Amino acid sequence: MASIAASSSSTFISSHKPNQAFNFKAVSLAVNGKSFQSLTLRSAPSRFRVRCAATPETVDKVCSIVRKQLALPETSEVTGESKFALLGADSLDTVEIVMGLEEEFGISVEEESAQTIATVQDAADLIEKLISKN
Amino acid sequence: MLWHYCKLGLKMKMHCFTQKMFCTSSLSPLQLPSRMETHLWYVLPNEVKSQSLLSQYVDLLSPIEKDHVFSMRGDELQKGALLARALVRTTISRYQIHSRVSPSSLVFRKNIHGKPEVIWEQSDDWHPPSLHFNLSHTSSLIACGVTVGSPIGIDVEEKQRTTKNNILSFAKRYFSCEEVKVLSAISDPEVQRHEFIKLWTLKEAYVKALGIGFSGAPFNTFTIRVGAANSNPEGSAIVVVPLEKPTNLTTNWQFAQVELAGSHYAAICRQNDGLSGGAMEVIVRKTIPLVEEHHVTTIDPIVPVDDFS
Repeated sequence: MASIAASSSSTFISSHKPNQAFNFKAVSLAVNGKSFQSLTLRSAPSRFRVRCAATPETVDKVCSIVRKQLALPETSEVTGESKFALLGADSLDTVEIVMGLEEEFGISVEEESAQTIATVQDAADLIEKLISKN
Repeated sequence: MLWHYCKLGLKMKMHCFTQKMFCTSSLSPLQLPSRMETHLWYVLPNEVKSQSLLSQYVDLLSPIEKDHVFSMRGDELQKGALLARALVRTTISRYQIHSRVSPSSLVFRKNIHGKPEVIWEQSDDWHPPSLHFNLSHTSSLIACGVTVGSPIGIDVEEKQRTTKNNILSFAKRYFSCEEVKVLSAISDPEVQRHEFIKLWTLKEAYVKALGIGFSGAPFNTFTIRVGAANSNPEGSAIVVVPLEKPTNLTTNWQFAQVELAGSHYAAICRQNDGLSGGAMEVIVRKTIPLVEEHHVTTIDPIVPVDDFS
């Protein structure tokens, strides 16, 4: 489930295969020097997540809203770890995604919170936090 | 060697085929913008096809930039990210700044809000210019604005861009009341969509110029008022009006809107020094980094109209 697309920075664009996914069974994954706890280890303490992780259902709904907004092909992988910026979301896309999430989940997201959302998981976690406040 | 062209129609491509080391002398120098000018550079990704050229661009990047480019999900997104970095590095290094500046030697950082800026080498005998830049991209056009002496923000959008949400619903959620009224008054949905896109780019350009981003300046805390050209004696037709008191939003900014390549709206925001009579002097150049550029003499400044109905 926690599959991440890795990339080699020494290949030229023509030979690079960006959509190749690698399934890691390891406990943590180092990406650009930061480590992320995989979704299956929610109970482990995490230095990088201050919110409780959202349910897979919420994550899936967010993925589907993102996929629709960015018109991503079905073959394109979108998971909790997917970063909006790397999926090609510009500022208008991001705001539209947030609006889509507000409508889907019946919440209101302050613009100031938009800065904290970098990945699908961040969005899902924020949604659950806002839902629990309602 | 790179040739510098000032006239449309005189087009001679000379490709730079240096293998390992990139020669700075093959990038012809550029005059810095005067304090009254804004330079706007743009590149169209679908005009850049050569793999060897793309490889040369990769060689200009820092390791972090390379990581970022190759982390983008998909070939087109990677190419776009690569072109953006190549555009900003080649452009900035050409402004007659310092003999030791080459495209790959430039060092960038982000300010606390995430706005990128150049870190210049400091030395006793050289003071870096107050050169500012800002990038914006869509999948089909990447632009870089450059100024001296003023922060700058730019935003580009495809004219044909559609929104998944209904435009008025979106505007009611994110824009100011006055802006919603202006958009609501437009009866033709196509015109309304175009005006929405233009307004979006103006608002984005403003918050990018401020350097605090969308989170620092929620779009419903200020109005961008687009007046008819002759309504303001200063000649400046676009102003920003903060709506909250007190506010961290400043108003000494001037705006310009241009159409690029017939396909995109671009908004530019820079400080208003009170000297240039309101109208921004924008010099537009279309480019393929390391290869060619054209001074675009026939840009269409978007003249605001009073009445949309």
